[in-house]
Amino acid sequence: MARFLVKRIVHGLAVLWVVITLTFILLRITPGGPFDRERRLPPEVMANIEAKYHLDEPWLKQYGRYLRGILEGDLGPSYKYLDRNVSDIIADTFPTSALLGILALSFALIFSLPVGLCAAATRNRWADRGCVFLATLGISLPNFILGAVLIWFFSLKLGWFQAGRWGQLSSVVLPMITLGAASFAYLSYLLRSALLETLSEDFIRTARAKGLREINVLFKHALRNSFIPVLTVLGPLFAALVTGSFVVEYVFAIPGMGRFFITAVADRDYPLIMGVTLVYTTVLVCANLLVDLLYSLVDPRIKTH
Amino acid sequence: MVFLTKRGAFRHALLLSSLLILASCNPFSRGRDEKTFRVNIGTEPPSLDWSLATDHVSFNVIANLMVGLTEFDKNLKPAPVIAKSWDILEGGRKVVFHLRDDVTWSDGQKVRAQDFEYSWKRLLNPKTASEYAYILFDIVNAEEFHEGKVTDEGLVGVKAIDDWTLEVRLKHPTSYFLSITTFEVTYPQRQDIIEKLGSKWTEPDHIVTNGPFLLSSWKHENEIQLRANPNFFLGKPAVEQVEMVMINEKTTALGLYEQGQLDFLDNHSIPTLEKPRLAKAPGFRHVPQLRGYYYGFATDRKPFDDTRVRKAFSMAIDRSVFPKILHGGELPATSWIPPGMLAHNPKIGPLYNPPEARRLLREAGYPDGKDFPRVTLAYNTDEEHKIVAEAIQSMWKRNLGVLVRLENQEWKVYLKKLQSDPPHIFRLGWGADYPDPDNFMKLFTALSGNNNTRWKNSRYDHLLELAAREMNEQRRIRLYNEAQRILCEADAPIVPLFTTAETTVLNPRYTGLEYSSMGRLVLRHVRLKESIQSPPPAARGRDKSA
Repeated sequence: MARFLVKRIVHGLAVLWVVITLTFILLRITPGGPFDRERRLPPEVMANIEAKYHLDEPWLKQYGRYLRGILEGDLGPSYKYLDRNVSDIIADTFPTSALLGILALSFALIFSLPVGLCAAATRNRWADRGCVFLATLGISLPNFILGAVLIWFFSLKLGWFQAGRWGQLSSVVLPMITLGAASFAYLSYLLRSALLETLSEDFIRTARAKGLREINVLFKHALRNSFIPVLTVLGPLFAALVTGSFVVEYVFAIPGMGRFFITAVADRDYPLIMGVTLVYTTVLVCANLLVDLLYSLVDPRIKTH
Repeated sequence: MVFLTKRGAFRHALLLSSLLILASCNPFSRGRDEKTFRVNIGTEPPSLDWSLATDHVSFNVIANLMVGLTEFDKNLKPAPVIAKSWDILEGGRKVVFHLRDDVTWSDGQKVRAQDFEYSWKRLLNPKTASEYAYILFDIVNAEEFHEGKVTDEGLVGVKAIDDWTLEVRLKHPTSYFLSITTFEVTYPQRQDIIEKLGSKWTEPDHIVTNGPFLLSSWKHENEIQLRANPNFFLGKPAVEQVEMVMINEKTTALGLYEQGQLDFLDNHSIPTLEKPRLAKAPGFRHVPQLRGYYYGFATDRKPFDDTRVRKAFSMAIDRSVFPKILHGGELPATSWIPPGMLAHNPKIGPLYNPPEARRLLREAGYPDGKDFPRVTLAYNTDEEHKIVAEAIQSMWKRNLGVLVRLENQEWKVYLKKLQSDPPHIFRLGWGADYPDPDNFMKLFTALSGNNNTRWKNSRYDHLLELAAREMNEQRRIRLYNEAQRILCEADAPIVPLFTTAETTVLNPRYTGLEYSSMGRLVLRHVRLKESIQSPPPAARGRDKSA
């Protein structure tokens, strides 16, 4: 177990290093710089700005400086938000994205379980078709459309929930549903497929032949064995949801980290892009490690080595 | 007494709690504080340090927290604020400001001339790396200090003679210098606070300001709260509190306004397609801005190296269509200096004249657009720029027989392209930093870094030099008229299209909001309308018709 953990942590660190290096190179070769403006700056002003942020140094030196900063826990200053550094920005925004992501994932898990079970238990009947339709709709409906429809109906028409003005209870519900909808649909679909496959196995036939009630067959025998594929996608899903979504944060004015995956690129805010990429990769690596550990709990036949 | 079964009790409890949650969630079920004014500023202000700020969001917050030596009046002339008067001496080479002695910082200290000297030298200091350092380069040794050629900041020509007198020495007579003192980057700063706290000095617990409002809280990426400054020397504002929320999505912001959760929206919060509908709402208006929108030609590339071709393209545009297709109150323009600014002259510039445009094109060797080279019109990716480009593309096809290719690019890629290899025709805009024509006209001098047309005209440059040093207003106007004729008629390296307007909508329960032609949101005179100030309690709901 300890050997497995050490091996996975070393793998994780290697992944982080590769991602940081690739992101650093890609940013430097992308046309346009962080201080390119419609109002072009005089050369002497630009020279002072580049000197302040060490952009006048060779790339290799900048790269070395950045890696040293990470080891010292300093992600550098933001080129856009001039009064703050990247660590402050992530500390301010990541908890909001994480909270919304956890709520959305919980929503997805809580609702996908009964829908997946119901669909599998009623295969090819109307209930199954209804569940499959719901799942297909959830997967194919872009979240900016779902968000807009939810705002229009529940916020503007009915006035039940607030859209925007994050911080009040009523402002959490709609973004949670919008963010969690696609995951809910995907997990339901996945669970249904896995359950159907498990239900056709010999040991299920044996259980039924022994006279077990269908509900016991489903919950005690089939469900546990169908969790493996769900668990596999939970790692990346968790990482994607807790690090925020640009669309959902944009539409619902949520002060989260997800928006920076787009806006920081548009602003060429190199340290902020590197910072959010680093957080995303770290969460992804940790989530995948956790999933690997959970495999052995769900199915004792899988060993962690 | 009704007895419920266990399951029934559970169901009823669930139903009751759901209703309670929904009721508590309903924003309309709560009253709201009418002394709080709520605006949407769209995004997080990148900086509240006025030496570093460069964008309108930051300046809109700063403009309500701070005042400076002067502010521009309704005629866009500098009017006294902290400076009660000034003397222009030595033929315009020296300006002495006399400061009021009753202006205080939010911590109770007096605002002194030394605070201005510190702020201006900090703006120029190479270590500050301010993007707007160049705005003060007319001051003696300012540019040299910024470049590091002069290291003794005592040699820079700004000095506090005493607590209430600020002396500025200029390299040459500078007619627009007073206008620069209206700009937020010249506001005073506290050396003790900034040197003690570093970049954290702008946080609500630390910041020291002197304006109508104080910074109460700043929830990053979410909202800023201001409260009225009871000690503001021009009088405490009528609204007790201002909430500046950061909602980027226009439809969401408009929804909140229509729910009564916001009191003011500007262009950044109003979807283009909703403008015609909102135009009927009370409190809706267009505020013309000192911001020009133009197309430039790459004058060193064929076929636009020929003046006749450039003029033909300019004359073939019917500028009256822009307000109809953009719905934003745009003012069609044929000259470059915008309305409201000194030397604005609508009589300058080519009128819409397709026959004359065709004649010029024929003269240049392209009768009815025959054999015209393949040319590209480029713009940065944006829905409104696309609408304008498509309209002009169709006008050129119809009036000249020339089909230009449209190309859009992401903003930073586009800017890089303009610097390295300008396309045949490109879109750009320009907003005034300070309300003086010098700020607009200098854009197209031979040495200007913003002149992407690569056009050069020594007479034009000379006229601008003369106008900058000319202290007589009438003579300045004549000089700018001649320069504009070269820019928009004779050489036509650019095609001015329109000056933009800001679409705004204000909750009709309030009055006194000023949205300036410089794009500044001034809230210090905002108040509830008198008829609404003491409503009966039952009438305190929000007006949803707005």
